Amino acid sequence: MIKLLKIEFKKIRSYKTFWILTGIYFVFLALGILMAEFIINNMVDNMNKHLPIPLPHVNIFFFPDVWQNIAFFATIRYVLIFPAIIIIILITNEFSFKTIRQNVVNGLSKTDFLLSKLYLIVLISVVLTLFMSIGALIIGLSHTDAITLPLLFDKTSFIIGFFITILTLQIYAFFFGFMLRNTGLAIALFTLYALIVEPILYYFLKSPVVFKNDISTYLPLNAVLRVTEYPAIPVLKKLMGLTLQEDVTLGGCLLPVVYASLMVIIVILTLKKKDL
Amino acid sequence: METVLSIQKISKQYGKIQAVKELSIEVAKGQIFGILGPNGSGKTTTLSIILDLIRANKGRYRWFGEEPSSESRKRIGSVIENPNFFPYLNPVENLKIVADIKDLDYGDIDRVLHLTGLYERRKSKFKTFSFGMKQRLAIASAMLGNPEVLILDEPTNGLDPQGIAHIRNLILLVASQGTTIILASHLLDEVQKICSHVAVLNKGVKLFDGKVSEVLAISDSFELGADNREALIQAISNYPGFKSLDSSKEILQVLFKEDVVNPGKINSYLFSHGITLYHLSERKRSLEQHFLELLQNNQ
Repeated sequence: MIKLLKIEFKKIRSYKTFWILTGIYFVFLALGILMAEFIINNMVDNMNKHLPIPLPHVNIFFFPDVWQNIAFFATIRYVLIFPAIIIIILITNEFSFKTIRQNVVNGLSKTDFLLSKLYLIVLISVVLTLFMSIGALIIGLSHTDAITLPLLFDKTSFIIGFFITILTLQIYAFFFGFMLRNTGLAIALFTLYALIVEPILYYFLKSPVVFKNDISTYLPLNAVLRVTEYPAIPVLKKLMGLTLQEDVTLGGCLLPVVYASLMVIIVILTLKKKDL
Repeated sequence: METVLSIQKISKQYGKIQAVKELSIEVAKGQIFGILGPNGSGKTTTLSIILDLIRANKGRYRWFGEEPSSESRKRIGSVIENPNFFPYLNPVENLKIVADIKDLDYGDIDRVLHLTGLYERRKSKFKTFSFGMKQRLAIASAMLGNPEVLILDEPTNGLDPQGIAHIRNLILLVASQGTTIILASHLLDEVQKICSHVAVLNKGVKLFDGKVSEVLAISDSFELGADNREALIQAISNYPGFKSLDSSKEILQVLFKEDVVNPGKINSYLFSHGITLYHLSERKRSLEQHFLELLQNNQ
């Protein structure tokens, strides 16, 4: 594993595109998170114009809600697309540079090649989860007045939720990369699916006119997004007793993990059979 | 002789096109084995199959007498088609990846860069290289760690005459150290200059194989004319090394087996038999012509 990661690291270390995209991703991530509170309060202000009793401004960055809210805002569709595109580029590059052929000729088995990309995905997910946790911890500490340990550790299941989301989504990207092999095509189809096709399918399937049972939840990307489906908005809870999501559940993680596993299996079988 | 590579009746089909058909080849340790054939004869397909890039439809192959695996490929250095490296990395970074895959340390990188004349450019990105330099990096990569077998697919493709001479000398140097070399080429002259053994392919079928000196023996033809035609035919048929003659025209076309005949010898031989020639001319056939004949005779 270390050997394969070492090889992967050499491939990305001097790769400008990778670092630029990663930089843009972090900027988006930071902006998204920092803007979240502002956006929500802006909404509250707008609502207040029509309400007799104004709602108070929300603070979404105190413990334990900070875990949920950062996990949520860091995994909205438009931000999540970045790590996916990075993975697609790293995989399809190997086909356009034909370095996958050279790697195999030099003595890397096809399975090892796949594993090296999977290890990289796991590593990126771990690193991003660490960043997210440290970020959430710092933000939480600076926004919470009275901190108690149970308060701090409540909702930390969202850390795992974030990890599962980022991991499975990158595996979807891995699938697109290996099956399509062409950078432009894979990015275009992935983006098209994630931002347009699935949202349309979602509303179509959700409509009770079409299907009696709501099967929209089985859509692959939707399954990923539902791991951390809702932010925690304390006003709603206070005023209406409404909680949208309390925890990341095992059941919620299961479907995307099943999809991702199936995709890995399909990629392995295809690569074994297909010529390079 | 220890067999390094044994290919047994492999076939590969792309749709309707039969790229390789029941091809069998044996390469022994220490040979410089040429795979000679025109473009599209199945050379690269064959090499891709034995390097696990392409799956054969039928047949099997063995490396070092074993079931082929990624471990056996680590003992082989290969250049396949175009040089494939990361464009944004320099040669040293690219070769480090190769060394990592092959479980080699980085100590050998400077040596192969020196050997291929790329050492001065070791800090330039691969994408800034000319095609010739890319090709030389591919050869450097194949030579990394002194592999037991070197597979070279059109190694001098795209090189200038100086580069071609350099690479050929390099191949001969590596071969002199006991490395087995498998070289695919469409250049008869290249195979003849470098290889000890050869298999000739056309349209995916092996026409023949054996020692280069036997398979590619060049016989020269001479045009002879004398007043006494019958005596000339009689005398020349008894000449050592005589192969065949074409007497359909006034001037005889005579083929000899060996490369050792020369006009002087023939002239003095015939003169000693009382024949005076009024026409004597040597016709050296080009290697390409010879190759085309080989292909035609086996169609």
